[in-house]
This record gives sequence, C-alpha cells and structure tokens, in this order.
Amino acid sequence: MAQLLNADVVKQIEEAFAPMKESVELLYFGKKDNCDYCADTQQLLEELAPISDKLSLSIYDIEDDADVAEKFNVDKVPGIVIAAKDGETVSDYGVRFAGIPSGHEFTSLIQDILLVSGRDSGLSQAMRDFLKDLAEPVLMQVFVTPT
Amino acid sequence: MVQSEMVEATEFQALSSKYNVSGVPQTTINDGAANVVGAVPESNMLAELKRITGK
Repeated sequence: MAQLLNADVVKQIEEAFAPMKESVELLYFGKKDNCDYCADTQQLLEELAPISDKLSLSIYDIEDDADVAEKFNVDKVPGIVIAAKDGETVSDYGVRFAGIPSGHEFTSLIQDILLVSGRDSGLSQAMRDFLKDLAEPVLMQVFVTPT
Repeated sequence: MVQSEMVEATEFQALSSKYNVSGVPQTTINDGAANVVGAVPESNMLAELKRITGK
C-alpha cells in the first residue's frame, strides 16, 4: 500500500513529538473480516509509531486476543487505546478511539498522545475535585465525523 | 474509572442512531444519561457529569 503519511506530515509530527517526556503505548485492535477501516488504521499507526522513540505500538485481533480486548474494555474495531508506558508497565488512562482517526481526528490522536505523555489531564481544579470523589464508572463517547 | 472514547459516527451507525446523533461533536455520557451537542466549555461538561451522578 502507498504511504499514508507523506514526508511533510511526518516532519510536522516529529516536531510535535519532540517535547515528549514519558512514553506512550498505542494498543491497536482490529479484525480480519468485516472491518472496512482496519487495514488503513493499522497502517497509519505503523507509520506513526516509529516517529518517536517514546511511542510504541502493539497490534491485537479483537477475536484472537479477546482477553486483552476485555482487559482494556475495547468492543469496537478499529479500536485504539492510548496508554501510559513506564518501563514494562502499561497503565490505562481510559483514552480510546473507535474508528479510523482521519481528518481532524488525526490531530486529536496526536494531541491525545501528547496528553498521555504529559501524564496530566490539564483539567480545572473543579473537575479534578469532582473526579477525586467519583465512585462510579463514567463512559463518555464523543461522536465525530472526519471533516 | 472514566473512559473517554472518540467514536467515528459513520463507521458505527447503529450506535449513532441509538443516541440520535445528528450534529457533531456529540458527547454521550453513560449510554445516553446525558447528550451534549457541540464543543462546550469544561464547566458545561462538569455540570452534566454532576447532574447524572447526582452530585
């Protein structure tokens, strides 16, 4: 397949990733059949990961690796988990993508990688206080379109 | 304990229909307990989170 990220875009991403301090692991979940955007999403991540040595990628099949999918609460493909990596330990920050991150969402993906790398949410004190006292799971799903 | 997921609406149409997604971005919280349309300030999101968790 042709390269998805051209040389100019790779250079911009390199610059965006230069300040990354802590490591980030991307966990990609795909499926062999009935997944129109799986191949492109996997290729996109395979081109993205080598741009920074603070970024790594592991590839899973949602059916063959059902136990990993369950551990990370992934039920849609293509699925991406953006997790913190400290040494060999992967920590789930609850950040997910469902569907191919194209168009504006590619920028969101880059921003999310930087966010997890920074290990801080950047949220207001009021939100932090609320989250500290939160005793039940919350699922936020942001529906987007690529354009 | 919070999971935040970007969902590409055209690839997951059943889910988009389930939550009546028309304008994006739409933030659906806890399977429809709240639906916030548009890119809103953090304080709006906090107000919704408080409302649905009874805080």
